[in-house]
Amino acid sequence: MMPLPGVLGALLPYNTLVVACGVAAVGCAAGVVGTLGVLRRRALVADAAAHATLVGVALALLVTGQRSLAVLLAGGLGSAILALGLLVLIRAVTRTRDDAATAIVLSVSFGLGIVLISGMVARGVPGSGGLERFLLGHAAALTAADAMLLGTVSVLVILAVAIGLKEATMVAFDPAFAAAAGWPAAMIDLVLVALVAVMVVVGLPAAGAVLVTALVVIPPVVARQWTDRLVPMLVLAGGVGLASGVIGVAVSSASPRLPTGPVVVLVAAGCFAVSLVVAPRRGLLARWRAGHRRGRTDYLLMTEDHR
Amino acid sequence: MLRLMIFGVIASLWLPVPTAWGEPAVRVVATTTVVADLVRQVGGDRIAVESLMAEGVDPHSYRATPRDANRLARAELVVANGLHLEGKLATLLSRLSSRRPVVFLGESLPEERLLPIGNGLFDPHIWFDAALWSQCPTAVAAALGKLDPAGAANYRQRAAVYTTRLAHLDTQVRDRLAAIPARRRVLITAHDAFRYFGRAYDVEVIGVQGTSTESEAGLADMNRLVELVVSRQIPAVFVETSVSDRNLMALQEGAAARGQQVRLGGRLYSDALGAPGSDGDTLERALLANVTTIVRALADPEMSAEVADE
Repeated sequence: MMPLPGVLGALLPYNTLVVACGVAAVGCAAGVVGTLGVLRRRALVADAAAHATLVGVALALLVTGQRSLAVLLAGGLGSAILALGLLVLIRAVTRTRDDAATAIVLSVSFGLGIVLISGMVARGVPGSGGLERFLLGHAAALTAADAMLLGTVSVLVILAVAIGLKEATMVAFDPAFAAAAGWPAAMIDLVLVALVAVMVVVGLPAAGAVLVTALVVIPPVVARQWTDRLVPMLVLAGGVGLASGVIGVAVSSASPRLPTGPVVVLVAAGCFAVSLVVAPRRGLLARWRAGHRRGRTDYLLMTEDHR
Repeated sequence: MLRLMIFGVIASLWLPVPTAWGEPAVRVVATTTVVADLVRQVGGDRIAVESLMAEGVDPHSYRATPRDANRLARAELVVANGLHLEGKLATLLSRLSSRRPVVFLGESLPEERLLPIGNGLFDPHIWFDAALWSQCPTAVAAALGKLDPAGAANYRQRAAVYTTRLAHLDTQVRDRLAAIPARRRVLITAHDAFRYFGRAYDVEVIGVQGTSTESEAGLADMNRLVELVVSRQIPAVFVETSVSDRNLMALQEGAAARGQQVRLGGRLYSDALGAPGSDGDTLERALLANVTTIVRALADPEMSAEVADE
């Protein structure tokens, strides 16, 4: 059994600590990777990848007969990457619009996942009961080994972003220029998308296939409200993800019958709502004040009209 | 011709339930293995019974396939547990009930014997209270008798015999559970399928999740459970055949961090019976197998070590 860090162990129940560590690590890494994804306008891609994981999770159980988290997540990663490949293919071959292609891959892979899972449940495949829990996550049931797995992957992902920061920035902000300057833009883009897929998969146990996109997308959007520069945005998004994880776990451990994953997502959404109002320059308050200074009290209404 | 006759003889041997005509008198579809067992006990060899859900399936999240709709459409009698156990089949069943007899076992029981779970609903897991379950055979015998008047007396008699057997089972279960000290008579499982069992046999039953497998345990529930296990020194918890064991692994770890070793007491039959030939292929055998598992794990903690190691 893992020894508990002294003070924290005395204050918090063991399970709270384990779950908090796992979820916070995932939240942080998802925020960091999500920043690049969101800047590259890949938010929906994350959603497609998330929904595609179900197929892989189901197949992994079917083929190996094992329920260990690592095996199931490996399966999820496989199908997520396959779905992303399919997405690229559809875009390239059929010249379907980006959003339409994403929607197709998202819904079809999700449908396939549901069919597989309910088929397995109906046929009584051993261990398939509770598999649908990957829909909403099962953060409260994380064990120390699970948390270690999630933590390790999260750290590796953050390291990968740190190492490739310059390349990623280039491709994220100006892919055309990056390509013209001789960068392997397509390759970098692929790695970025793969990292997003990894984060989505690692976030599965925490938030489930339906909600994990929120972990990848909301923290960067929050961070974007506060800063225009990339590195602060990365750090801030990581921080928001981490804080959402910790606060969400704390809230769900404070009162019974609150599922942990959805609460974490709600906390992140709360950060977003607050940022919308109070963020400097972009926040509603700041814009309202700026409008006042220029003697244009209807500034807000005008921006609404222009949208 | 001879070949055809031989084939005919062999085929008739294969028919599960030959009556005088070599044909089952009534074709029954039961929703779960537990219900199918009851129907089989009452109907005996005169009828054919199949269960929609196989062994080891969780009825709460079971979705009907087109094949199920077909099987239900071909059945002459449908027997369901009712009380919303067959959550996702409910609409299909109620639509079916306008066209052919559908018996809902739970609905045939007196309401004051049922455990309310709020919103006017009742806990559907009625089968592990042998005394309560013994009130169900009559309804099945009546429904079968209406469809097969020639066999009505036979069904009634079989139902009466089975009811007596269940009454005997009830005493047997009670006697065996007495071996567990009262303080430790706590059954912790991943699923509240044992509330009637707990009420009938004076066992405190605590689920990691709600009654339905669909509600997810929050972290607070997990912490509360760890506290309980540690403070009452409960030596074992129980995993069921049809529900995932992830929550219990987290519980074990939490308790171990506070110095209380919690073993897995072994698997209990819950929403589904075992495969034919297993120690839980009928309700009677499944209930006794559960009691053996529970007594072994809670009465003598040392014994359950080997179970956990299996």
